[in-house]
Amino acid sequence: MAVNGIIEIHNLSFFRGNRAIFKDIDVSIAAGKITVIMGPSGTGKTTLLRLIGGQLQPHRGEVQLFGENIAQLNRKQLNQLRGRMGVLFQSGALFTDLTVFENVAFPLREHTQLNDMQLHDRVLLKLEAVGLRGARDLMPSHLSGGMARRVALARAVALEPEIILYDEPFAGQDPIAMAVLQRLIKDLNDEMRLTSVLVSHDIAEACAIADRIILLGEGRVLAHDTPEALQTSTDPAVRQFMHGEADGVIPFHFPAPPLAEELLCDHASVADNRGGLQ
Amino acid sequence: MINLVSALGGQLLQRLALLGQALLMLLQSLRVLPGKHGLSRLIQQLYVVGVQSLIIMLVSALFIGMVLGLQGYTLLSAYGSEQAVGQMVALTLVRELSPVVAALLFAGRAGSALTAEIGLMKATEQLASLEMFGVDPLHRIVAPRFLAGLICLPLLVAIFSLVGIYGGHIVAVDWLGVYSGSYWGNMQQAVDFGEDVINGMIKALVFAFVVSWIALYQGYSCVPTSQGISAATTRTVVYSSLAILGFDFILTALMFGGA
Amino acid sequence: MHKRWIEISVGLMLVAGVVALLSLALQVSGGHLTRSADRYPIDALFENAAGLAPKAQVTLAGVTVGEVVAVVIDPQTLMAKVKMQINGEVNYLSIDSSASILTAGLLGEKYVGLTVGAEDEVLVAGDMIEDTQSALVLEELIGQFLLNLGDSN
Ligand SMILES: Nc1ncnc2c1ncn2[C@@H]1O[C@H](COP(=O)(O)OP(=O)(O)OP(=O)(O)O)[C@@H](O)[C@H]1O
Ligand SMILES: [Mg+2]
Repeated sequence: MAVNGIIEIHNLSFFRGNRAIFKDIDVSIAAGKITVIMGPSGTGKTTLLRLIGGQLQPHRGEVQLFGENIAQLNRKQLNQLRGRMGVLFQSGALFTDLTVFENVAFPLREHTQLNDMQLHDRVLLKLEAVGLRGARDLMPSHLSGGMARRVALARAVALEPEIILYDEPFAGQDPIAMAVLQRLIKDLNDEMRLTSVLVSHDIAEACAIADRIILLGEGRVLAHDTPEALQTSTDPAVRQFMHGEADGVIPFHFPAPPLAEELLCDHASVADNRGGLQ
Repeated sequence: MINLVSALGGQLLQRLALLGQALLMLLQSLRVLPGKHGLSRLIQQLYVVGVQSLIIMLVSALFIGMVLGLQGYTLLSAYGSEQAVGQMVALTLVRELSPVVAALLFAGRAGSALTAEIGLMKATEQLASLEMFGVDPLHRIVAPRFLAGLICLPLLVAIFSLVGIYGGHIVAVDWLGVYSGSYWGNMQQAVDFGEDVINGMIKALVFAFVVSWIALYQGYSCVPTSQGISAATTRTVVYSSLAILGFDFILTALMFGGA
Repeated sequence: MHKRWIEISVGLMLVAGVVALLSLALQVSGGHLTRSADRYPIDALFENAAGLAPKAQVTLAGVTVGEVVAVVIDPQTLMAKVKMQINGEVNYLSIDSSASILTAGLLGEKYVGLTVGAEDEVLVAGDMIEDTQSALVLEELIGQFLLNLGDSN
């Protein structure tokens, strides 16, 4: 099989305990495109990003980046490869002991030989792009959630990597910031020919920005197509998700025994469940 | 009966596996030499682990020395040999109390802070994000903290001993009137550098190793939630204290026990 | 500025630690850097060495000049043979020196006290002191005292 995508996933299975998060999925992500991963909460979107980043090892199957199977790389090669990749974590994950400026400078200090002047300019440009140049001397604990996420975004793109993985970049942003970030991601992608993979819940915004949408559900890839194709799809699961219908074939609930069974169970075990938060 | 034995065996195997994991973490973190900013990171940690523990060490050492001076004087004057109080204070401190008390304080002050810090870094995905920048968190985060612990505690123990001896001096000589010459003279007669001071330092080094290792491993392997971190911090203090007292007995038996 | 303070305070702490270690070496242990450098062995035979243990001090005119390394039985004479190490610079112990086992205070430690004799020739490594006075054994003393008390009644 010819390798054509910059990220190739073959026959991948991944388990948490006995629960299969992914069952034999195949995904091919094309270079230079914006691919949005969508799916109900808890289906494994973050997990998929971690598998791509090599932080989790698949139980079966393989992940190829730039045509190399990452499971077969040694630590040094993997670190080199990660220098060509930027990641925005769902929680931002700023380094709490560094200032905003130093956070954005971190990947540059690690992977480039820029002198102080060049580094300074580069960091300020990135911060300007997310509208936080004025916050450069603040510590992460003094930022709001949305600001922290924007700093993390600036940090993820600071190296101008070839692949960027964004885990919910728009969560917690006001409409203006959202529009700015959308444009930023799109501009980065168009100007530098980056490959962007981003996780999002917002259908309108995903359709606006995406070249391709991957819809995950129940451990499988439900659909992988252009936004237009998905919006006109006749597949019931795709329709349900794309149009935000509460009732349909996609289960909203975390796997559990039927409700009636639990409600009718013996009440002795209920007492055991008290406690928790006090 | 068989169930009991197999449960015990299972427990033992589990403990051994944990120990192996902890050992692996340590070896991996120390595998590579520090990089270009290694020194400044080490200095940062020496500050956090050492300088910030200094005050509590100084105060404790002073009080312990004063108590030893007072107790020693009362005890020894019953035999008319209160001039030996210097020797008693010095030997007690140098051989036992300084390494043990300083290490216990160190576990409570610096060890618990290390565990909480690393646990929180894990919970906020900072360790994961280091990894994604191609930086090994063991090397970047764990190694400088471990080295700082290893360097600081022996020095803190030396300071502890000296301050304690001066504390004893304040009580015995300045307050109770023991002749200063016999305070120092008896001490110099009795304390041997190789046998007492160096052995005390060896204890300090062993304790430093054990406490830093426990603290870092607990942080690194904790469950990344608020309960997980608080449980790991508690474990650090409890395990470190037990390990300090246990190793102290073994080392004392090896160094001073027997002929 | 914050960074400078960190560096300075860390430097001060390291210096303080090393100074503390040095003063432990010099002031507290009185510069006894090594115990076994340049010493020579001397033996002495005692009738009774009760209470004398290895590491006990060997003194001359109240000044420590060495230490006991072993107390063993001499198979020929069935007396206690006390092996001592004398500091090298104490090279003026005449061959007719005498040794006695003394007690520091009433219940204190036993130690060996040396007294120099009149001869010009000095003791060298491996020599034996002949003129010795044994340890006082408190129980024997008390026994004698009681016996005398009984006699005089
Ligand atoms: N460390 C873990 N241990 C056990 N199970 C886990 C762990 N992390 C995640 N899971 C499980 O894996 C599943 C997928 O998690 P993941 O974080 O990938 O979801 P997600 O699709 O990113 O959801 P969201 O949109 O809410 O962020 C979840 O159902 C979760 O219960
Ligand atoms: Mg997620």
